[in-house]
Amino acid sequence: MEVFEAIKNRRSVRKYKAEPIPDELIEKILEAGRWAPTGGNLQPWKFIIVKDPKILDMIRKVSPGYLGAAPFAIVVCSDRERAYKIGGKLGRDYLCIADCSMAVENMLLAAHALGLGACPVKSFSPVALKEILDIPAGIEPELIVIIGYPDKKPSRPPRFPLEGITYINKYGEKWLKEK
Amino acid sequence: MKEEKKVTGDEYLFEIAVFLATSARGCMDEPPLYGPFRLIDGLSRLIDLPKYASCLSDDAFLKRMKAEIDEKKFLVMFDPEEFRKFLDELVHQFTRKLKERTLR
Repeated sequence: MEVFEAIKNRRSVRKYKAEPIPDELIEKILEAGRWAPTGGNLQPWKFIIVKDPKILDMIRKVSPGYLGAAPFAIVVCSDRERAYKIGGKLGRDYLCIADCSMAVENMLLAAHALGLGACPVKSFSPVALKEILDIPAGIEPELIVIIGYPDKKPSRPPRFPLEGITYINKYGEKWLKEK
Repeated sequence: MKEEKKVTGDEYLFEIAVFLATSARGCMDEPPLYGPFRLIDGLSRLIDLPKYASCLSDDAFLKRMKAEIDEKKFLVMFDPEEFRKFLDELVHQFTRKLKERTLR
């Protein structure tokens, strides 16, 4: 799939089929995450693959934003402790979130290109997630990516036009597309 | 094929309780509009309770409201004004039903 096509047609899927996902596709999605940009090559991410239906069900129950019973999830965590040692406050408080978000975007695009649907979830209880997944101190769950074969593809949501969000040379200087 | 485990009324009630507790905590930090979204999503989940608790009976009106909620709840993500109108209309329908049930 062509990259612009993947970017424009990806949607946050919230209704899934129960069909399981082959391991080779899961690995491809993880690889896409691993190759995301990362500040100072920090690579703060840790990925927890969740396939066990019982664990998945518990995660869904403590995550109000986990909508639709996706058969598989990747919990993207950051190693905040290591990030602080290497990158100081910037590493811990900013790069962990930015890098994990970039990894998640790569995963979402990869899932879409593989014919899967996915949705990033931030509305979860970190306290509950740490308890369920035995996440140690210093490691922070940043996002959950729920993945499955889409049962319903959402329609395209509105976006601000480029002209409304883009300036040229300095903030406020209107950017006009060349005719 | 593995048979799906039957969810009991107690288990489903507990699931709603967990949803409400985690939502309450989430609402402390989430965008303000997620509050009404969680409440309406919680209502949709609550309406499913008779499916799991045999002591409760299905209510056609509530089922209709649930279908409407599930169809329109995501408006909150991209059209808050329409979401507001949808909630107004929902409250209107609930109030009409309340009057009907009270005065019959």
